[in-house]
Amino acid sequence: MSFFSHQKKNEIARTQKVRTRFSHMRISSVLFIGYRNMFANRMRSILTIGGVAIGIGVITLLISLGFGVQEMVIHEVTKNNPSDIIDITNKSLESFVLLDKNTLERIRGIDGIEQVEIRSSIGGKLFQGDSQTDVVINAVSRHYLDLARSDVSQTLREKIFTEPEGILITPKLANLLGFENPSESIGKTIEYSAVVTDDMLADVEDVPEETPKNEHENMVTIVGIINDQTKDDAVYAYISIEEIRERYGGVTGQFAKARVKNESSIESVRLQIEQTAFVTESVIDTIADINSFFLIVRSILIVFGVIIMSISAMGMLNTLSISLLQRTKEVGILKALGTKRTDIFKIFIFEAFLISFLGGIIGLVFGYGAARGVNYLMNIFAIRYGVVASSFVEVPTAFVISIVIFIFFLGLITGIFPAMRASKIHALEALRYE
Amino acid sequence: MDCENTRELKMREKENMAEEKKMVIKVVGLKKSFHVGIQDIPVLYGINLEITEGEFVLLVGPSGCGKSTLLHSIYGLENPTEGTVFIEEEDIWSRTKDWRAHFRNHFIGFIPQQPFWIKSLTVIENIAIPGVIAGRTFDESIVIAAKLIELVGMGKWADHRPFDLSGGQQQRIALARSLLLDPKFLIADEPTGNLDFRSGEELMTLVRNISQQFKITILMVTHNTDQYKFGSRIVNMVDGQITSDIINKQSLSKLEEMGEVKKTGETKIVA
Repeated sequence: MSFFSHQKKNEIARTQKVRTRFSHMRISSVLFIGYRNMFANRMRSILTIGGVAIGIGVITLLISLGFGVQEMVIHEVTKNNPSDIIDITNKSLESFVLLDKNTLERIRGIDGIEQVEIRSSIGGKLFQGDSQTDVVINAVSRHYLDLARSDVSQTLREKIFTEPEGILITPKLANLLGFENPSESIGKTIEYSAVVTDDMLADVEDVPEETPKNEHENMVTIVGIINDQTKDDAVYAYISIEEIRERYGGVTGQFAKARVKNESSIESVRLQIEQTAFVTESVIDTIADINSFFLIVRSILIVFGVIIMSISAMGMLNTLSISLLQRTKEVGILKALGTKRTDIFKIFIFEAFLISFLGGIIGLVFGYGAARGVNYLMNIFAIRYGVVASSFVEVPTAFVISIVIFIFFLGLITGIFPAMRASKIHALEALRYE
Repeated sequence: MDCENTRELKMREKENMAEEKKMVIKVVGLKKSFHVGIQDIPVLYGINLEITEGEFVLLVGPSGCGKSTLLHSIYGLENPTEGTVFIEEEDIWSRTKDWRAHFRNHFIGFIPQQPFWIKSLTVIENIAIPGVIAGRTFDESIVIAAKLIELVGMGKWADHRPFDLSGGQQQRIALARSLLLDPKFLIADEPTGNLDFRSGEELMTLVRNISQQFKITILMVTHNTDQYKFGSRIVNMVDGQITSDIINKQSLSKLEEMGEVKKTGETKIVA
């Protein structure tokens, strides 16, 4: 007895001093047991993983469409409106200010302005043989298209200025003029007339001295086809403002685009332009409006997502709790055979991770697929109604990372309580559990 | 006549001394009480027991006498209220839970009364479980399990689910599982309790043969007096105390002659 008492003391002392490292189950074995358990309870596993997948899938679908539409709108808005460009327009028809020589000089004199280009949109008609059609003629200054239509090639932009009496028309306009294939119209000379009233005329730069008044002598040559960015059936034309001035006198600009030297000075430049009685618009305003709108949309989607995922999480927690109850004796025998508490914990937590990650990955893939499907269907309708097809599905990397983090925490939160309970069960109590 | 008896006794003592083997399990003053409501119900009253290497000890006694509690305390599952258990000079109750878990896994094979399984695993994967617990892969452990399943004569059932098997077959599988890590000890809690006579006899024969083949020390709880013949030693318990401790070198008939001894609680050697 005394020998054993002495030895016991030594043993206790040794235990306190030396922390033995014990062998643990391999993660591969833990995952294998989790996988086999899920496979053995197929229906339950499918329903639980399906619940998570539906939750993640719906969130992915909504968010990818949300981001995609936002990206598409911003892209559409910005592709012809670089952020260093200011649109200058009038406040209202009652207080209409023409962009005449003096006004333009005043605007150009503002510190920070690099370039100002004008446009005058004039109603008119085009004639080709027996065909005639109403059209909006956009009379533009030399570099207006450089600021407004970066989607159009430099050569095409230059053509109405380099080739005498050139005009750019939209494909639909070519059709209306009797050209079935718009490209057939290139090089053809057509007649035009513009409705220019006296109040559109003022003191302008480079006004020609002689202005022919015979409308039916206004002949122009189609030098190119210019597609509209959004609508296939748009009907308008671009012509050099000098051409119009030659025919109709000092036509002023109604709209202008100004490029600033430095993007950071855009707000002060806008303020100074607005002091000259104009209204300015910048794509930055539009982007801010779009972003704030989509922020609201996303917030609503997140609320929906949280509700959906809460239901999925409860389903998962329920499954794991039932799984623990059904496997209490398994926990008992594993412990009796020498499984450490941390390994029992791992078995349950990894099963939760298996469910959440499988559900999450399936949800991500199907959510993205569904969004692509919606995009495809919408494009079919868009093409049918003459709208250019576009992609509005966007899954940002940050969103994917967020989802991965989310499903990790979903597994952790739903798995941790059953796992802790399992690891703490006394082996004999678990074996006696009914 | 007396002279002859004295000589015979001396010879036996010499034989016993020669046969004295290493003590591998020592139970020292083991007491256990269970809390039921506000009451403490004592189950074990200071058990002292020594088991030497290679013994096949049968722990017998009526229901509720505390033999399973004693078995579980020796196995490191039931924390004693007082006293302790030394296994190969290690005081298992002065160690941590993880140490005991490690010790059970590596050194002791366990056959419970009812067969408990990981339901989602096949028979051979269940046999491999102690190896997996020890940190080996399933593949590595299954290689050993495949040999053991043949040893217990259940090879053709390897890929079945354990619950597809009969009670006797399941206990054979439990025996194979208990042997996976080549244990020094085998602890069995009434493994034949739920089996018919024939299955019980077959299992006991198998356990005895394996214990002899692999030199494993066995401690087994049993109710069945028909199985006393398999044990090399019969420890009888009544009301939480050891009432007899008998070395069985011959047969059950000899053991039954010691009926008086069991009642008085003495320890006798049966030649």
